[in-house]
Amino acid sequence: MSMQLGILIAVFLFPGGLFALALGLILKGLDRRVAARLQGRIGPPLRQPFYDLIKLAFKRTMVPTFANQPVFLGAPLVGVVSMLLAVALVPLSGVYDPNPILGNLIVLLYILMIPAVVLMIAGSSSASPYGAIGFSREMTLMLAYEAPIVLVVLAVAMRVGMAQGEVMTFSLTEIIAYQRANGIFLLDPVMWPALAAFALFFPANLGIIPFDIPEAETEVLEGPLLEYTGPALGLFKVMSALKAVVVLSLGIALFAPLNLGGVWGFLGWLLELTLLMEFGVTAVRLSMGRMRIDQAFAFFLKWPLLLATASVVTVALAT
Amino acid sequence: MTMISKLKSMAVKSPWIYRINAGSCNGCDVEMATTALIPRYDVERLGCQYCGSPRHADIVLISGPLTRGVVDAALKVFAEIPDPKVTVAVGVCPISGGIFRESYAILAPIDQYFPVDVNVPGCPPRPQAIIEGIAQAVAIWRDRL
Repeated sequence: MSMQLGILIAVFLFPGGLFALALGLILKGLDRRVAARLQGRIGPPLRQPFYDLIKLAFKRTMVPTFANQPVFLGAPLVGVVSMLLAVALVPLSGVYDPNPILGNLIVLLYILMIPAVVLMIAGSSSASPYGAIGFSREMTLMLAYEAPIVLVVLAVAMRVGMAQGEVMTFSLTEIIAYQRANGIFLLDPVMWPALAAFALFFPANLGIIPFDIPEAETEVLEGPLLEYTGPALGLFKVMSALKAVVVLSLGIALFAPLNLGGVWGFLGWLLELTLLMEFGVTAVRLSMGRMRIDQAFAFFLKWPLLLATASVVTVALAT
Repeated sequence: MTMISKLKSMAVKSPWIYRINAGSCNGCDVEMATTALIPRYDVERLGCQYCGSPRHADIVLISGPLTRGVVDAALKVFAEIPDPKVTVAVGVCPISGGIFRESYAILAPIDQYFPVDVNVPGCPPRPQAIIEGIAQAVAIWRDRL
């Protein structure tokens, strides 16, 4: 009984659910605020994403005449549920360990794909030509970044697994335990190619500026989200807030878990998350322009794939 | 204050803006872009955000004298915007036709076609005037929520 209760708390309260949602929204607010300050503006308050969500809840939901209504309204729900599960799957070093029954790194990789699939379904079910363009761009981008991230995860799994006498381990808890004992992968030269490939992957997965091609509001008017109004659009905002927390904390778990516990471990994790958001997301999106979809596709099949393959080879040779 | 009215007063801090160019000469559009985008008149601090899709919008800024060629498309886009919404007419053209007045090609004043809530006159209006128009629109929007 207590196991079920623990899982429910992990999914709905901490570190998933309400906590992750609040954290994701505050990170988003911080991102907008810092972006404004870097441009010499004052910027919105930190609570702005909360105001946006409340506003969206008051608006009317409209479904286009030719849209497939159940799919159109069901897609954002699937996205939010998948991300709630994903947050509960990522451990916080020294603070939270997910119950092994929830799944391991492979399950997490599958769940991380769902938001992109949900956006594709949303775009194609909305019966809008812009949604269809967004659908095709989202799919192209996903095909491009999926291979490097799988190889990065493989490299980390091999590094930890071979040290323990197995071929590879896909338990994030074991990966964190190994790094706590032997130093974090951020400072391990063997893992630097994997780290670089991950750094190139996560802007694409979060859909921020060099790779926000599917939702480019100046070209395809927010693509898959074009036809969504009110609460349904709010669910997409919830999904992307949760996804930011999942992807950033996955990066922390794979490469830089802190060797701390309890309150200090939690505060350190928050600090790492904020730094990663500011330098990995805000600074990147302000200093670049948007790529074309063919450029992004060629880019991902060149550098991240090369780096990720190199990381698997170096890990295999180094251990 | 009840819970709902508390939530409503938070909701009005997030007015999303959509622009419809109804045959404008682009002067007012430049002023509108200026209002939001340059550091000096940052409207994002009021929670405003330009959105690409009319489906996401709360406040509509219409500029131009409503030419005959654009009227159907403009009405169609206006109908796409979900209620509750507020309409702001920017520039002198929507009021009287401005320099295009008495032309056979325009249908101004546009309040024959759109329920205009706030007029911001000027050719083009100053950014401060547009911001004030948006602020008045937000006050009207509060009552409609």
